[in-house]
Amino acid sequence: MGEMLHFFANSFFAAALLSIAIGVVGSLMVINRYNYLAASIAHGSYGGVGMALYFGGSILLGATLFAVALALLLAFMTYRQQRHLDIFIGVLWAVGMSIGIIFTDLTPGYTTDLLSYLFGDILMIPNSDLWFMGVVDLLATLFLSAFYHQLLAIAYDKEFALTRNVPVALLHTLTLFLIALTIVMSIRSIGLILVIALFSIPPYIAERFAKNFWQMVLLSIPIAFSIIASGLIIAYYLDISATAIIIVLAALAFSITFLKGER
Amino acid sequence: MRLPAVEVHNLYFRYDKEYVLEDITATIWDQEYIAIIGPNGGGKSTFVRLLLGLLQPTQGEIFLYNNPPLQARHLVGYLPQNVNFNLEIPLLAREVILQGRLGPKKFRFNAMDYKLLAQVAKELEIDTLLDKKIANLSGGERQRVLLARALITKPKLLILDEPTAAVDINAQKKIYEILKTLKMTKIVISHDINILLEGVDRVFYLNRKLFIHDNIPLKLQNNKGHFCEMELFEELKRRCDG
Repeated sequence: MGEMLHFFANSFFAAALLSIAIGVVGSLMVINRYNYLAASIAHGSYGGVGMALYFGGSILLGATLFAVALALLLAFMTYRQQRHLDIFIGVLWAVGMSIGIIFTDLTPGYTTDLLSYLFGDILMIPNSDLWFMGVVDLLATLFLSAFYHQLLAIAYDKEFALTRNVPVALLHTLTLFLIALTIVMSIRSIGLILVIALFSIPPYIAERFAKNFWQMVLLSIPIAFSIIASGLIIAYYLDISATAIIIVLAALAFSITFLKGER
Repeated sequence: MRLPAVEVHNLYFRYDKEYVLEDITATIWDQEYIAIIGPNGGGKSTFVRLLLGLLQPTQGEIFLYNNPPLQARHLVGYLPQNVNFNLEIPLLAREVILQGRLGPKKFRFNAMDYKLLAQVAKELEIDTLLDKKIANLSGGERQRVLLARALITKPKLLILDEPTAAVDINAQKKIYEILKTLKMTKIVISHDINILLEGVDRVFYLNRKLFIHDNIPLKLQNNKGHFCEMELFEELKRRCDG
């Protein structure tokens, strides 16, 4: 057990930091029904990964800049243009990924497996990523604490929030900006494909038991951590992919909650 | 001297090529109670959204208490049409009501806000609902909570867009009874003509163009003493077109 904990030290830190992000940003995503938007940013951000590889820059920086640019574009589009929005989101999703693939193909001598970005590897988290995750968690928590009531008012009834002169456009943009940062911080650990599932399931479960939004956020964190940590332990003993088993566990928890809710 | 609460001059509005509202001119006086009726798609919700500054006129001018709509929002309490609310958010009724006290630079609630919350909850008899999740309330209870959210702003002008849609008949009556007691300018869009028309001062019939009538309730009752929506619309349309 001690050996395992030593081996997994960074992974457990990452799990804890990821869980905080899931609690705060995942819950905001769920109540705003931004899952599709977030999935578009997640997949589209692969364009930044490909460009960073081609130009020889930092992958984290490339993905961050690309994801933030996508988030700002989507914020503008969702606020200004409601028509054909789903098509626009889908196009950004596909174009971002395609740019990533093209630049990766053009990179001479590049051999790293695309799958490592699509599915992540929580066992290989460097210390620098932990710092980045810590900063994003701090920003997200400060953002939620500062604008708690206004964010809830917008999520519940945007039109009413506008009539109270709440800065809806600004907060909507900042929320998507935070989602972009959170997605980038999660790419290395859980990958582009799985990030949305992991950010949606714990808040969904927590919502069933929470009376208010703070409870939803605070309950999501231990739920997320239990799922990720259990996945890490099972992966160690069965020698299987940690990310995959984490998502299977999350889906199992989701199914049980969903079925109990339906009865 | 009567004070104008709402002044609308030569208002035109279109989303695309076709006009939804054409040549609307009207004045609503302070403390008046106005019902806006008309067929679906006739521009009723668009009209109140223009009053709130949520839409900008294609042509024409609007003033609320002598201010353009965006500068008069603090004077207005609004209950939107119950269609887009996200009920998946865990929110208590008290949190929803307090949203009425938010503002561009107001992030936290103070003692005055909580005092107003208690006051408005008592007035609308929803004290016992305050700690319930909004998603668990009945349609009528939820509408009273949303009315409380509009009233906690201490408005001079109250705008309600279909406040009793999807609410049972007893809850409808209750809401209109409450409305009658409120001392402020009121604009209510509704299809519940029979209940609504009992207390209003004037009726606005809106179907792209506006027709204002001062005394419709007395003239259009049928022999059972009820208003028939179709008959009323037909009569108003005839007068409007005429």
